[in-house]
Amino acid sequence: MKRNGLVFIALCAAIILMVASGRFLSRAGRSRVTTLVGDVRGKAAPDFELTSLDGRRVKLSDYRGKAILLNFWATWCSPCKVEMPWLVDFQKKYGSDGLVVLGVAMDDTDAPKISEFAHEMGVNYPILLGTDKVSEDYGNVQFLPTSFYIDRDGKFVGKGVGVITRKEFEDNIQKALASRTAGNSPALDAAATSKPISPQPAAQ
Amino acid sequence: MKHSLLKLLPFVLSAIFVSAQEPGTRVPSVTFAPTGAVQAKPGVTTNVQLDFRVGSDFHINSNKPKSELLIPTALKLTATAPVSVAALKYPAGEDVSFPFAPGEKLSVYSGDFSITAAVKVPARAPAGNYPIAGELHFQACDRSACYPPRSIPVKFIVSVNK
Repeated sequence: MKRNGLVFIALCAAIILMVASGRFLSRAGRSRVTTLVGDVRGKAAPDFELTSLDGRRVKLSDYRGKAILLNFWATWCSPCKVEMPWLVDFQKKYGSDGLVVLGVAMDDTDAPKISEFAHEMGVNYPILLGTDKVSEDYGNVQFLPTSFYIDRDGKFVGKGVGVITRKEFEDNIQKALASRTAGNSPALDAAATSKPISPQPAAQ
Repeated sequence: MKHSLLKLLPFVLSAIFVSAQEPGTRVPSVTFAPTGAVQAKPGVTTNVQLDFRVGSDFHINSNKPKSELLIPTALKLTATAPVSVAALKYPAGEDVSFPFAPGEKLSVYSGDFSITAAVKVPARAPAGNYPIAGELHFQACDRSACYPPRSIPVKFIVSVNK
């Protein structure tokens, strides 16, 4: 009986230890795949400078005052392909309201192949060539597609991981467009020097 | 009592680990089942079955995906001379449509699948152990999103006996 008691205590201790280590591992995991769990809403979007398919250097801060739909994708990602016609439609539908769709291609493929694919898909928005740094700055983007919605003040209003519905896209676009343009866009100025997204404990 | 508690332990611990994971944090796993030493004779080509397992809820493209843009699953092996890998035989993919594109079928592997390597041993090969090593390159997705391509190591030993 005494032995059973000791076994029971050992079991309880093991459970407490595993819960603690499980939480620790969960937090550790977030530091590597923060995109998947972190709530970015209200945070300043990190600025970046990437090369577009036509060879231009493009900064996020070039679009100050605009609402941004930042879509990470790749040519090898079938779900990403599903979203692209929607993104084309959104650029047409909301472009005059101030929406800019920016695609960030996370391929290792060379630019001409990406360009050919984008052309076939009828893409009407800038495609930028992604880098490890932009992926890391945006919370280590692992899942594709991943979309970030950035308001006119340069703050995140939402994020979508994996294929989401067209309605979810449009709801987030509306949120991004709804923000008022700040006079000098101080938040975007801040965004230009902001630090990469840090892990957030709260789920979105 | 003691035995009951101990029997429950693995289940309790598994439940704790699962609860520690949050949605979207799962990383696709593709594993290679270790192969024991493959017995081979000089002058004979031996087929070696290499077994892989794709984690539940994930799939990887087959060796012949339906689009050139998709990244095929490919095994690259390097043998120790004089042994060589004469050919690789991949299984046919399963044609599956996913919720993100119901009208489109993708050729994929999921669950368990095997690749057969034809290992050729020359007639004059001395007896001994010859390691064959390489990697399986693949790109995994689940039902709504995809992960970047990655590789896992594959290694086995061919034991040549006279």
